[in-house]
Amino acid sequence: MTPDQLDIERLRQLALEQPESGVTRGIALVISLCFLLAVLDLVRRGRLREEYTPIWVAVALGIMALSVWFDVVRVIARLIGAWTPSSTLYFFGVLFLLILCLNYAVRLSALSTQVKLLAQEVSILRARLTTPKAEDGGRDTDVREPKSPPS
Amino acid sequence: MSDALVIIPAFNEERTIAGVIDRLRAAAADLDVLVVDDGSRDATATRARAAGAAVVSHVFNLGYGAALQTGYKWAARGAWAWVVQMDADGQHDPADVPRLLAPLRAGTADVVIGSRFVTASGYRMGFARSVGRVFFQRVLVAFGGARVADPTSGFQALARRAFAFCCGDFYPSDFPDIDVLLLLHRHGFRITEVPVEMAPSPPARVPMHTPLREVYYTYKMLLSTFRSALMPRERG
Repeated sequence: MTPDQLDIERLRQLALEQPESGVTRGIALVISLCFLLAVLDLVRRGRLREEYTPIWVAVALGIMALSVWFDVVRVIARLIGAWTPSSTLYFFGVLFLLILCLNYAVRLSALSTQVKLLAQEVSILRARLTTPKAEDGGRDTDVREPKSPPS
Repeated sequence: MSDALVIIPAFNEERTIAGVIDRLRAAAADLDVLVVDDGSRDATATRARAAGAAVVSHVFNLGYGAALQTGYKWAARGAWAWVVQMDADGQHDPADVPRLLAPLRAGTADVVIGSRFVTASGYRMGFARSVGRVFFQRVLVAFGGARVADPTSGFQALARRAFAFCCGDFYPSDFPDIDVLLLLHRHGFRITEVPVEMAPSPPARVPMHTPLREVYYTYKMLLSTFRSALMPRERG
């Protein structure tokens, strides 16, 4: 029997139901545990701020859960019309990274604006400290200094 | 203290900055001059200070738009009624500054653009840049902006209300061009043009107009103009 004589749907079922090896699940479990420990250690050493950790803790717990209940991947694969659990994982992995990159670009944009504002403020304040009053003319319109009495 | 401040953003312009300030003093001695040194690695700040200008030095290079905005912020904290912005490379003729200020002083405009094309001046623009100018002129009108002959001219004068508006976070760090003009127009600022003389841009040490940069500039300007067209009027 040649492959084209096989019923396509039957072929898909075979692909979906291919048994995963215990070793693969074990590796996934160990990696997710190491990942979780690494995240916690980075927080402990002050190199990762707490507000950036939820996503990484969720990723570690997600990998851990999937390595224990691998059938969840098969259910998702069936739902989205995929052929294999591995392609399903790959698809969601890439999608996750794309969204994450976009999120970081948004955070970077906000940081760029903040850095620009700070740099401008520092430059202006430094110039006001070093520029003679008579030349800068840049006295605050809302902060009036008392005029010195005429000598 | 004068009622007008001339803002000159400068990045590594030690060769020209003192000359520009001297010519400015000769043309309009009563104006205050602020050089915004955008993180220059040469003697721009020292030479500008020696020539009698006030100098604000950025800690590091922030971009042309950010340097201009620093000037606006400086002016907004002072009592200047008007600002004039001009380039440090000597392309803009300081003798035109009083002409730029005239419509502001007369109360007939809030933003005055020094235009190379209102009347025939001797300015010769390269083919690619001419195409770009006409293109952006049309984009500005298509997005509902004012008809401006020279929308990419950096030689401008702004009334206090207009430069205070430009202190907002929306103001681009790199190239403030038709996107800002569109926003100003949409917020009811009166924009007018006066003819000025402009020397051709001096050859840059680092080429500013490589094809890739032009493509990026066009892309970025279209996107930020689109954003300006959609930005709520009360913002800024």
